[in-house]
Amino acid sequence: MADLTVNDLALRYGDNEILKGVSVKVPPGRVVALLGPSGSGKTTLLRCVAGLETPHRGRISMGETVFFDAGAKIDLPAEARGLGLVFQSYALWPHRTVFGNVAYGLKLRRVAQDEIKRRVGAALAQIGLADLAERYPHQLSGGQQQRVALARALVYEPAIILLDEPLSNLDAKLREEARAWLRQLIVSLGLSALIVTHDQIEAMAIADHITLLNGGVVEQEGTPTALYQEPATLFAAEFMGNNTRLEGKLVAKADQRASIEVMGTKLAGLARSSAAVGDKATGVIRLEKVTLAAGPGPNRLPMTLKTQMYIGERWELVFVKDALSVRAYSAAPLDRESCHVEFPPQALWIF
Amino acid sequence: MGSSPVTIPFTFYRFLVIGLTALAVLAPLSLVFYQSVLTAPFFQPAAQLSLNAYRFVFSDNDFWTAFVTTVLLAGGMTTIAVPLGAALAFLMARTDVPGRHWLEPVILVPIFVSAVVLAFGYVVALGPVGILTIAVKDLIGVIPWNLYSFWSLIVIAGLTHVPHVYLYTAAALRGLGSDVEEAARTMGANPWRVATGVSLPMVLPAILFAGVLVFFLGFELFGLPLVLGDPQGLLVLSTYLFKLTNKLGVPSYQLMAVVVVAIVAVTAPLVFMQRRLLRQAQRYVSVRGKGVRSTALRLGKWRWPAFVAIALWFAITVLVPLAGITLRSFVETWGEGVVLSEVLTLEHYRELTEYPNVVRSIVNTLGIGVIGGAAAVLCYTAIALAIHRWPSPWTRLVDYLVMLPRAMPGLVAGLALLWVFLFFKPLSPLRETPISVWLAYAIVWLAYGMRLISGTLIQVGPELEEAARTIGASETRVKLDITLPLIRYGMLASWLLVFLIFVREYSTGIYLLGPGTEVIGSLLVSLWGTGAVDLVSALSVVNVVMIGVGLLIAVRLGVRLHG
Repeated sequence: MADLTVNDLALRYGDNEILKGVSVKVPPGRVVALLGPSGSGKTTLLRCVAGLETPHRGRISMGETVFFDAGAKIDLPAEARGLGLVFQSYALWPHRTVFGNVAYGLKLRRVAQDEIKRRVGAALAQIGLADLAERYPHQLSGGQQQRVALARALVYEPAIILLDEPLSNLDAKLREEARAWLRQLIVSLGLSALIVTHDQIEAMAIADHITLLNGGVVEQEGTPTALYQEPATLFAAEFMGNNTRLEGKLVAKADQRASIEVMGTKLAGLARSSAAVGDKATGVIRLEKVTLAAGPGPNRLPMTLKTQMYIGERWELVFVKDALSVRAYSAAPLDRESCHVEFPPQALWIF
Repeated sequence: MGSSPVTIPFTFYRFLVIGLTALAVLAPLSLVFYQSVLTAPFFQPAAQLSLNAYRFVFSDNDFWTAFVTTVLLAGGMTTIAVPLGAALAFLMARTDVPGRHWLEPVILVPIFVSAVVLAFGYVVALGPVGILTIAVKDLIGVIPWNLYSFWSLIVIAGLTHVPHVYLYTAAALRGLGSDVEEAARTMGANPWRVATGVSLPMVLPAILFAGVLVFFLGFELFGLPLVLGDPQGLLVLSTYLFKLTNKLGVPSYQLMAVVVVAIVAVTAPLVFMQRRLLRQAQRYVSVRGKGVRSTALRLGKWRWPAFVAIALWFAITVLVPLAGITLRSFVETWGEGVVLSEVLTLEHYRELTEYPNVVRSIVNTLGIGVIGGAAAVLCYTAIALAIHRWPSPWTRLVDYLVMLPRAMPGLVAGLALLWVFLFFKPLSPLRETPISVWLAYAIVWLAYGMRLISGTLIQVGPELEEAARTIGASETRVKLDITLPLIRYGMLASWLLVFLIFVREYSTGIYLLGPGTEVIGSLLVSLWGTGAVDLVSALSVVNVVMIGVGLLIAVRLGVRLHG
């Protein structure tokens, strides 16, 4: 087992720069998620690793094997990289049965017929589809197709498995089940995996390590907890979780502390950027950290309740004060119009 | 890794295919250009470089008359075909005109029936002693039309090209959402106003493309002007070329080459213009191609008048000539005062079997259609696969390359191929076999065939091929194991369409016609020249039946009749 290392990868289509120097590392047996909004270059990066796109700068290697090196003009064709790739659309071949789809990779490797039967059988059993081997892809449900695609990519024991939005084609209920199942399968097989997703919850649930991409560069990377609890940039803070946002002016800054003035009220928080006193600044706070108080106090804004929505396990409230609009959660509906919204200083990030 | 048994890199295959295609396309064309600047046929040692042939042709009044006639004919038929075709497309694609579901394949029949057969049909039905002419004369005492006039030629050419306009306009109209029409309808527009004010303007790029296509086809016309124009001495460029063969008594290859160059000089820009217009038209449609819901516009009291109009067009364009030629093939003779029941006979069909060249023509036509059609589809697939999803400037070159033969009308391509066989000695043994005719057909229809195959290939999702690559399949293996199996039905459909085209073809085989290379189409033209109307009628019916069977199979299998 070896590290997959992507170093300073850059790629453009015409004048359109998709990747602007991205580095990622997948250590053996670890699951890394490439997270980002659409257009951030995450799928392109995955396709570069697979050998389906040609970058113009950078290096991709797996242990000692160099997949791609722009400087040394090395570009190993996709078929010679020995990876497993699961496509977003699954890309099952409609003219082959489930068995035929899964067996193809072994046939290409000249594995003996008996051995193919045994290994495909084992792979199908593993994903719980042993008795559907003779079906054609169109005779399977979406969830079954997704598992066949996975089996197809795993059966020849690739050094690493690449998954492109593996769960996005499943409906919401199924997706949560599949997420747990997928994580469990990858961990139990001790696989290295690189997963592309735009869904932060999916990334946090499946991956050991998240690389957050934005506009073709790495915005932040780290463990799911680090990304969620210690966002390094405004983008990272707003991309993860559900947040409310406060625009204002930086009025004080010392060490890790900073204060922002919002509508004449000074709010203390954690300094997260290099902005200087007097600059415009943005405060970001997770909705679940916003609290409601009956009277005035530090880090509180008096606001008016505009609307409240029941969303199942709790209520989501929207408060306004002039042009400012703030969201918060509450266990029960609020029975008064005006309220003091508190932004605890240890949970308010100031960028 | 790299376990693929095929060790030849795919790049080698790509360039091999591109090279062969370039050779097949450029050799005939270059030979024509070379011949046009010689003083004598290229195989004569006395031939020298000179522009004399150009001087001769360009100072020949007949050439200029033919040129102007061609432009007028092409322009005239476009003027007729475009409005009728657009109207037909609107009725068929957007309204509840009766029978629109089964009318579709019927409307396309003129595209698949050989133009010479239609022309013969017009002569035996509407000519001076035609079956319908005499019937009308008996009824009202005068003949209200003259088939052998320039106007008749233009009208017939226009009517027979309505389906070409129909095809492209209808395809574009089907991509429109019906909401735009319903909006006009609720504001008080009647169906006519909806068509002319909303629907047709929205598909103008497609109509424009069809117009240029028909004008271009006007330059290719050969069968209609040969049969209908020649008796009154009316020459178009293609028939001028055909007559030129004997202008000087000796084979005047250099003059023919000059005429070919003149024709190609007009058609080649038209072909490239069509390519640009087609792209534009497709872009126009695809913009609104998302989630269109289409409901038929109700014509109300106009339903049946519209149907009658379509039926009338169909009767004049298809029924009259085909019924005429069929009837003629079953009678001993025809003229004034002949009673049908006394002259019925099957003799002409029996006669067909008495002429070895006729029998050979039927066998060769079937062979070239069935076996040759399959071989051509394989060749087209080989070329299409070579450039399929290849991000390289070479694909553009191949795009242009396969379009070039389209600029050569069939007659011209046949001539050029004949010269290739005479010029390259190793090829000459093939000259007397149907292979020479097949090669000419395959080259002439290269662009058409490539469009069919590429249309199929485009439907194969790229990720299906990429999945195989990442699993460890080489490019060659991917094409063999994934791409080809996925397009097999598309290839079968293309085979049927190419069969229809090859069986119909007549002009391409004319210069290649000789013992052993007879095909029905070219033999018909040659027999017509000798006045053997009986044989021509029977052989025409045989040809139409072959095409009819092919069409029936295609419709039964649900093959889309256009690429």
